[in-house]
Amino acid sequence: MASTSTSTLSRKLILKSSDGEKFEVDENVAMQSQTIKHMIEDLDDINSPIPVSIVTGTILSKVIEYCKKHATEDSDSDEQLKQWDKEYANNMDLNTLYYLLLAANYMEIKGLLELITQCVADMIKGKSPEEIRAHFNIKNDFTPQEEANIRNENPWAFEN
Amino acid sequence: MDNLPVEVIGNILSQLGAARDVVIASTSCQKWREAWRNHLHSLLFDSSDWPLYHDFPLYRLEILITQTIFQTRGLQRLSILMNDVDEFSAAPVVAWLLYTRDSLRELYYNARTIPSVNILEKCGRHKLEVLALAHNSIIGVEPSYQRFPQLRSLLLTSVSISALDLSLLLNICPKLEVLKLINPDIVISDNHTTLELYSTSLKDVYMDAISMDKVILEGDHIEKLHLKDCTLEMFLLVGKGGLRIFRIDDVSVLHFDIDEVVDLEAVSVCFPRLKHLSLSYERDSVLHYGLPGSSCLENVAVLELGWTVINDLFIEWLSGLLERCPNLKKLIIYGAVSGAKTHDECNALARFTSSIVQLMRIHSQVEVLFEFE
Repeated sequence: MASTSTSTLSRKLILKSSDGEKFEVDENVAMQSQTIKHMIEDLDDINSPIPVSIVTGTILSKVIEYCKKHATEDSDSDEQLKQWDKEYANNMDLNTLYYLLLAANYMEIKGLLELITQCVADMIKGKSPEEIRAHFNIKNDFTPQEEANIRNENPWAFEN
Repeated sequence: MDNLPVEVIGNILSQLGAARDVVIASTSCQKWREAWRNHLHSLLFDSSDWPLYHDFPLYRLEILITQTIFQTRGLQRLSILMNDVDEFSAAPVVAWLLYTRDSLRELYYNARTIPSVNILEKCGRHKLEVLALAHNSIIGVEPSYQRFPQLRSLLLTSVSISALDLSLLLNICPKLEVLKLINPDIVISDNHTTLELYSTSLKDVYMDAISMDKVILEGDHIEKLHLKDCTLEMFLLVGKGGLRIFRIDDVSVLHFDIDEVVDLEAVSVCFPRLKHLSLSYERDSVLHYGLPGSSCLENVAVLELGWTVINDLFIEWLSGLLERCPNLKKLIIYGAVSGAKTHDECNALARFTSSIVQLMRIHSQVEVLFEFE
C-alpha cells in the first residue's frame, strides 16, 4: 500500500542534458542518481530544470531508461531484471558504452556503473595489450623501453 | 577511453577478476598502469583460470603471487583459489595477508599451506566483511584481542576447527549475518562434546555434511536455516520467532527440538528422515497456521508439542499435524497450567480434554502422554 501511494504522489522533475534536451521524470526515477539526489536537497524550486551538465540528450535518455526499469518495484524477479540488464548493455555500441560509463560515474548510479563496468571488463578478458588498445582505441603512450620494462615486472603473465 | 577517470579504469580492472588479465590490461597505457597501481581493489588467483598455474614450480607461483599483490595498493578483495596445486609454504601466505590487512574487506582463501597458517591471526580483521576459508584449520580463537567488528559472512568449507573455537569465533563477530559450514571437521574434547552456536546477529545459517552428537543453535534473528546431509543425535534451535525458511534435506536427526515461534505457513518443511519432532510455542497465535501442503513427516514416530497458553485452536492445529504424521506412534503434549485458574481457563482445559479424546479415536494407533507443569 505504502509504495503505491508514494508512487502516485511522486513529484515530477525535469532533467536538462548538456545539449539542452529536457526530460520529465518521476522523482523516484531520478533519485537513483546520488548526484541528482544531492542536487534536489539543495534546490529551492524543483520545478526548474536540473542541469546534467556533461551528459548529452541521447545518453541521458538511455540512463533514464535504465533508472525507470530499476525504479519500479513491480513483479519482475531478480532473474528477469538481470536478463533485462544484459540485453540493455548488449544493445549498446562501444561509443555509447563509453559515454554511459562517464554518465553513470558522474551521476553516481551504482547499479548502472557496475553493469557497464562489467560489460567493458568482459570485453578485455583474454585480450593482449595490443588487442585491448585496438578495441578501445587507446593510444600506447609508453616508449618501447618503458613498455619492455613494465612487461618485465610481471613476465609470467605474458607466457603462453 | 582516454577521458575516463582513473578510478573508473580501476573499477573496470577490478571487475576483470583474474590476476593475469588485470596484469596484461595494465600494460595498455600509462593511465591503466596508474589504475593498476593505485585504484585496483580486487585480485583473484584461481588455478582453474589458466592452465599454466599448474605448470609453474611452486616457488615461482608463490613469488609471482607475492610480487603481483605487492604492486597493488589498498586491495579490498583477495581471492586465492589454488587448492589443486601443491601446498604453499607459510611465509608467502603470511606476507600476502599482512600486506593487505589494512584494506581488506573480503578474503577468499582456498589453498593448502604447510605448516598451517593461523589465518584469523594474520589477516586484517577490522574491515573484513566476508571471510571464506577452505581446506585449512583454525586453531585457537582468542576472544581477548581478536575481533571481526564488520564481518557479515563466514564460510568455512572443509575447515578443521574445534567446537569451542567455532563458538568463540561467533562471539567475536558481532555483525555476522551469514554462516555456512560445509563439511567441517569439528574437533570435540571431553569438555565440549556439543557444538553450541550463539549469535545475536545471525540471519542465515547453512550446515552441510556435519556429523555431531549435539548441536545447539541459538540466535535472536535467525530467518533462514538450511540443514543438508547432516547426521546429528540432537539439534536444538532456540530463536525468537523470526524463522521464515526452514529446509532439511537428507538429514538424520534423532531428536529435533525447535524452541522458536515458527510461522509454519511460510516455512518450507521437508523432513524425509525425521523421526522425532519437537515443537514448542510461546505465542498462541502461531497455532492459527497449519503446515504447508508439501510437508512430509512420514517417518515421524514421536511428536512432542508444547504450549504456554492453551486455546481451542491448538486442537485444530494438532489435528492437521496428526494427518501429516501417518506413522506416529507416540504423542507427548507438554502444557503449562497456571496455579490460579480462572473459570475460562478451566473451561478451555475441559474442552481441550474432550477434543483430545475425540481426536485420538481417529488416530487410535498413537499413544498419548501429557506432561503438565
